[in-house]
Amino acid sequence: MSEKKGLFGVWLAVLGIGIVVGLITTVKLFSQGHSLFNANDVLLWTLPLGAYIFLALASSGLTLLSAVPLVFGVKKYEPFAKRLVFLAIATLCGAFVSIGLELGSIFHMIYIMLSPNISSPIWWMGAIYSVELVVLIVKFFLMHKGDWHSGFSKFLALASFILALAAPLMIGSVFGITESRVTYFGPVMSIYCLLMAFLSGTALFIVYSLVVNRVTGNGVPVELYDEFALIFTYAAGVVTVFTLLKYAIESATVVPEFLVYRQFEHAFGTVGVFHSEVLLGLFLPLVLLLIPSVRKTVAGKILTSALVLAGTLLMHMEILLAGQSHPVGPKAEQFAPFISYFPSIWEILVFVFALTIMLLIYTLGERYLKLTEAPQ
Amino acid sequence: MPRYAMVIDLQRCVGCGACSIACRNENNVPEGIYWSNKITETVGTFPNVRYHYIPTLCNHCEYAPCVRGCPTKAMHKLDNGITMHNPNKCIGCKYCEFNCPYGVIYFNWETPHKFWRDKKAEIQGGTASPQEVVKDVGAKSVPYYNPEREATYAGIRPKGVVEKCTFCDHRVKKGMLPRCVEACPADARVFGDISDPKSDVSVLLGKFRSFRLREQIGTNPHVFYIRDFNPAAYQPTKGGV
Ligand code: SF4
Ligand code: SF4
Repeated sequence: MSEKKGLFGVWLAVLGIGIVVGLITTVKLFSQGHSLFNANDVLLWTLPLGAYIFLALASSGLTLLSAVPLVFGVKKYEPFAKRLVFLAIATLCGAFVSIGLELGSIFHMIYIMLSPNISSPIWWMGAIYSVELVVLIVKFFLMHKGDWHSGFSKFLALASFILALAAPLMIGSVFGITESRVTYFGPVMSIYCLLMAFLSGTALFIVYSLVVNRVTGNGVPVELYDEFALIFTYAAGVVTVFTLLKYAIESATVVPEFLVYRQFEHAFGTVGVFHSEVLLGLFLPLVLLLIPSVRKTVAGKILTSALVLAGTLLMHMEILLAGQSHPVGPKAEQFAPFISYFPSIWEILVFVFALTIMLLIYTLGERYLKLTEAPQ
Repeated sequence: MPRYAMVIDLQRCVGCGACSIACRNENNVPEGIYWSNKITETVGTFPNVRYHYIPTLCNHCEYAPCVRGCPTKAMHKLDNGITMHNPNKCIGCKYCEFNCPYGVIYFNWETPHKFWRDKKAEIQGGTASPQEVVKDVGAKSVPYYNPEREATYAGIRPKGVVEKCTFCDHRVKKGMLPRCVEACPADARVFGDISDPKSDVSVLLGKFRSFRLREQIGTNPHVFYIRDFNPAAYQPTKGGV
């Protein structure tokens, strides 16, 4: 017991360091400016935005999963529901940290409310996620108080489900409606983001729950995760089909922007036409998940979901960077034909700060909020 | 209400860059940022090569993707067709820059005009430091600071927000031409009201077949290019097999 206590203290200390480092990064960024990022007027959005997309989508995925017991009434999944909602809140908070530090002028944020532009997908994305955060917090509060099935509680579950469906579509359309950047695949990007949200949310839930079960020794019996692993396998399968389709289009089209894109040295390398992060972070875990003896073991589940989590982050980064790899119009006078990128220490620290906030909230929730509680 | 547009006559343009220099002075544009810029291209295969020069600026598109996507309406359209920016509302998300198909928006990654804030003299005890020069001439941030820019836009835009060409809306408001148009020694830039069939821009667009950049995207840009500068001659030929 005392050994566990000691470990918990160390864990809190690590998180504490993360918070201090994050605060220093915040002060530094807003005093010195975003020149601290390895971004420029060609490569505008880098790791902090990629981290935001990854975390925000994972949060939507968690909310979608929570709808299985909370909206569709599958009772046997109720022991997962509270934790799912809580993880969705914490992950979304991490996403907000990342996007907050990505923005140049957070002090002007008030104009999002005072001067909304409803034709802007960024506005909708911000609005939907903000409302979703509030809805999730209220829903969690009600569940914590034991109110799982009142009309209002059910309404909140339904509202968060709808918001979690809409938000990834909106993230996709931030890229998809950009008519001048066709390599983002237009409206299809929204569907892709929705599928990726479900996949990464499921992976995050499995890896998190199983690790917590191991560390704390309490929680839901691990056998119950077998069904989640099956859902996870289906999600990986759907994303794989979608990704193969994307590859087919990318390699067959002669649209000029894709021809330029094909020349681009892909961020994490390729094997044949396939990107390494797709091979290792999607295809490999899918193959492993298709083997029942792997899927049914705790280690197999942790390994595959960890691979998928890393894979989805890298896939988002690859898509984000590749679409901004070459200068538009007269910027070619000033910048190299292709821009290479490696995150600066400050970008990495933004990501670390976002993860720390998320993990700190997880930790406190796990400790004090009885996350595996289900209605009597 | 007029609808402003610009016609750039590529036959007259000598590629001197006076437009860009005038623009920097007029709008206090910081280093690394270009409101007025150019696209240069080399066509052909050596030894048959030719150099082309296309001056660029914000196209003040009718269907401006930068405006459509801006979450706070910081990037907005004026009634006269100018695409205008309000740095007070700008949250620095850079979505306008991401969305603009013409690469004419820039972000202030740090406090602008860094060079002029330097306290160190090039030759200690010999020359003045950049900061002293600014102080001596009684200017704001840069010695050549133009306070007239402040009439409609921040004289110098702060770090963390974007900026771009405004068709010199502050001058146009006073009945003056954009500074780049005035500064062009070759009269290659013609500015005016495209909704008036008698304006010089309308006359030129009726006389010459114009093109616009990336027209197929459907943004309806309001910077038009006419003619081409090419003194090359060649013997009439039907080619051969
Ligand atoms: S050229 Fe770019 S910045 Fe100017 S109006 Fe068109 S989209 Fe906006
Ligand atoms: S950077 Fe500023 S002007 Fe551009 S879209 Fe964002 S808020 Fe609007």
